[in-house]
Order: sequence, then structure tokens, then C-alpha cells
Amino acid sequence: MSNVTRRDLFRGTVLAAMGGGALFLARKANGQVVWQVDASRCINSRLGEAGVEACNLCTTECVVALSAVRAVNEYSRCGRCNICPAYFNITSAVNELGQPSEKLCPRDAIARKPIGKVDPEDPANNFYEYVIDESKCDGCGKCVMKCKEPLGLGSIVLRVRHDRCVNCNRCAISEKCPKDALRQLPVGQALG
Amino acid sequence: MSTVRAAILLLFAASIAPVARAQAIPYQRPVDTAPQQNTIGGGYKTPPVQKPLPRDAWLQLLDVALLGLATGASVWLVLNRRSRKGLAWLSLGSLAYFGFYRQGCICPIGSIQNVAVALVDPHYSIPMVATAVFFIPLVVALFFGRAFCGGVCPIGAIQDLVVLKPIQTPRRLDRVLGLLKYVYLGLALFFAVRPALGRDFVICRFDPFVGFFRLSGAPHMLMLGAAFLIVGMFVGRPYCRYLCPYAVLLNWCTRLARRGVTITPDKELDCGLCTGSCPFGAIDKMRAVRKDCLYCARCYTSCPVPEVGRTPRSARVPLDPQLGARP
Repeated sequence: MSNVTRRDLFRGTVLAAMGGGALFLARKANGQVVWQVDASRCINSRLGEAGVEACNLCTTECVVALSAVRAVNEYSRCGRCNICPAYFNITSAVNELGQPSEKLCPRDAIARKPIGKVDPEDPANNFYEYVIDESKCDGCGKCVMKCKEPLGLGSIVLRVRHDRCVNCNRCAISEKCPKDALRQLPVGQALG
Repeated sequence: MSTVRAAILLLFAASIAPVARAQAIPYQRPVDTAPQQNTIGGGYKTPPVQKPLPRDAWLQLLDVALLGLATGASVWLVLNRRSRKGLAWLSLGSLAYFGFYRQGCICPIGSIQNVAVALVDPHYSIPMVATAVFFIPLVVALFFGRAFCGGVCPIGAIQDLVVLKPIQTPRRLDRVLGLLKYVYLGLALFFAVRPALGRDFVICRFDPFVGFFRLSGAPHMLMLGAAFLIVGMFVGRPYCRYLCPYAVLLNWCTRLARRGVTITPDKELDCGLCTGSCPFGAIDKMRAVRKDCLYCARCYTSCPVPEVGRTPRSARVPLDPQLGARP
């Protein structure tokens, strides 16, 4: 073709350079990384941090409405206690049922239901299941703080919910997190 | 219960005692180990813990495919159909999908940073999706100009919606303000290629519209976005023209483009009725300035000769050599 202009040649060069760049980047591509909360670093679940007011940053800093971080109950580790310190505000006055009169969760996201039949004479002698309604939870971490040793067994932890997280280049929570507990890791790599 | 544990519990109870109100029960952890299915009995099954996975790979590929298709559709609607209406619908669709549904992520503008980091940091891995999203609009721009800006970019689309009474900004002012985007690109690259700890993805952090897409955001960023939209009523698409760092790259690619939006491409009409129609200052001396053209197709709607808008490509006279098609 005689009517190949200098511009065409230049365009070809740029295309080739882009192709090279894309190939270089493709060779580096290595699975998907997602933001995850390291429970062993998170103030709310870390042992020895009891008595500290629950850290609220996962709620306030996340760019998604109603944070992508939620409290999750790992049922296999849950004590299914009658008086759950994460469900009840255990410092509140006792009511006629012998239970603390206030709940801990400010958004009432935890549901408590008995497992099996409750003996009306002795309701305390029963296991209870605690289910977190994630559509209400905003990841404030109050229940996480109370569930850990020595009050509870540490079954509730904060987790990034990957269906909600938009995977920001730099997670807004991680920028503020005092313990650097949010890490970008491959999808399969579980934490704490 | 071991004595050590009992002692810890007692100590702990003592420590919270002063805060506890008078009637509160002294709390004791009822169990030491988590009861499992067989301990609980009665056919109880431990409920599964939901572990939502990130967006499926095929859905991410769908995003890339849709980006490619939308860019192609933008080229077809503007260059072939010359349809402002079609393009407006396409950009609304893109605003809904890439903006509100995908919440502004992933986008080529922000991917500049990921590509930059991946090029300099051997430990940083970039997903293939991000690479593709970065290159597709640039490759299209090499041949057809900034089709991405017109029909695909959600940031452009949201600003395009508010173009009500655009004024023609003076060319010199336009040019001076346009330099800002080079500064912004430079800053974005500077912050992106720094070592991992000091790294900052400024383009994403200071994206003025992403807060609207996510329906949440820091108040100052939402206010900045609102300010851009208010200014955008009178100065068309200010972010795109003066700040968008990706526009710099698109500009460079567009200079090599073979085709693009042209004014009076078929006849030497030169009535000048379209001169005021471009809200983005991309018509200079009755000719489209391709590198500034945002592919909105508004100029076609102001054309008094309907055939000009709808001539089949085969019947069209080739480009006027004066249109800036210099080699």
C-alpha cells in the first residue's frame, strides 16, 4: 500500500508498545487479591484489649453505605450461652426473666433462639443460637469485643464481606486502622 | 474449671464491678468450650457460616466485554448513525451499569495507577481485568478518538446530564485550565509509584462523583461532586476537560486516530450553525477538534441539513484534508 502515512506507522508503533505492555502485565497477573480483616490484629478480637471501647473505624471509614465489614458468628466456636455477653448488655439491670434487660447491639442485629425445647422450670439449662442479621450489622465491633476471652469464646469476628466490598485500590479503613489489621490477600487465604 | 481461669474471671469480674449497676448480675461465662452437634443432640445441625466470595470471574469478564461493546457502540452511534439520541441512551445505560451498579469500580481512569504500580513494582500483581480495562479505550482512541468519553464513562455521563446552559469558555482559558490534567496525571503517577507504604491512589480517593454512585461518601467529597455538577451546568463537563488524567492519554492516542467526529463531512456547507453547539469547546473555526471532542454528537443535532446526519458511510466524501488529518 502506497498510502501508508507516517501517522499509520506511528499508530502501529504505539499499538505494538501497548501490546508489549499488556503482555508484560499479563505475565505478572496472579489471582485476585481482596481486602481481609486479620482477626489476630483487630483490636476488637485481639486478646488483652478488653475494656477498651470497641473500635468503630470499620463502620465509619468504609466507602460503602453500611460498611462492607460485618460481624460474623463462627457457629462451630460459639458457646451458645444462655446469657450471651455479646447479645445482652451484661451490665444492665436484670429483668423478671433473670436476664439483663438491655441488648448490646445498637442496631438489634443479633437474634437469639433456643435450640430444642426449653424446660419452663429451668430455662437457663439450655443452648441458644445467636444469628447475626447481616443486613442490619454495620460492623461496629461491640459484640466482637464482648465475645472474646475471658467473657466469651471468641466466636464472633469481623470479616470483610466480599460481595459488598468494592475492593478499593487503597481500603479507606486500612488507612485509619490503628493495628493495620486490613490486608490485601489472595481470595483463598483465610485469616484468623 | 481450672483455678487459674477462675482467678482470671474473678479478677475480671472485680474490674467491671464498679461500672456495673447495682441490680446487674455478676457475669460468669457459662461454658468453657463450644458445644458441638453431638453434645447438643436432638438432631441439631450447626448452621453453615456464610462466606460470600468476591465477584465471579465470569462477571468480571462480563464487565470487560461490556466496556468493549459499549465503546464500540459509541463509535458506531456517533460515526455511523450520527445519532445524539442513541448516544444519550447509551451513556445513560453506562451510567446505570458502570456507575450505579458497579459503583464506579473498576474504571480506566483509576486503572492508570494500578498499571503504573505494576510496571515499577515487581511484587505488585495486577488483575488481567484491570489491564484490559486500561487498554481497551486507548486502542479504540487510536483509531476512532475518544469514544469512551461519550458513551461509556460514567463520570462523563453524570456530568453530561447536567449540561443545561453551557457557555463558550474562552479558548485561551480552556487551554490553560486543560493543563491541570497533566499536573494531575503527574501527581497520580508520583503517588502511585512510590514504595508500598507511602503509596496513595489519589485518582480514586479524589474522584468527585464516586460518592454519588455508591450513595455514600465523606461529606466534603459529596460537596465537591455537587460543586462540579453545579459548575457543569454552565461549563460543560469540567472534570473531563480540565482534570481527567485519563483524558491526557486519550488525547495522545486520538492525535493518531484515522477517523473521528467531523463537521460538514459530506458537503462544503459551512453554515456555521454548529459552532455554538459544542458545550466543550471542541469546535474551532467550524471544524471539530478531535482531541477535545467528547463524542457527545450534539453538533449533529444542530445541523440544518438532515441528510448530513444520516448519510450511509459509503456515500460520504472522504475527510477534508484540512480537518487536521496531518500525518
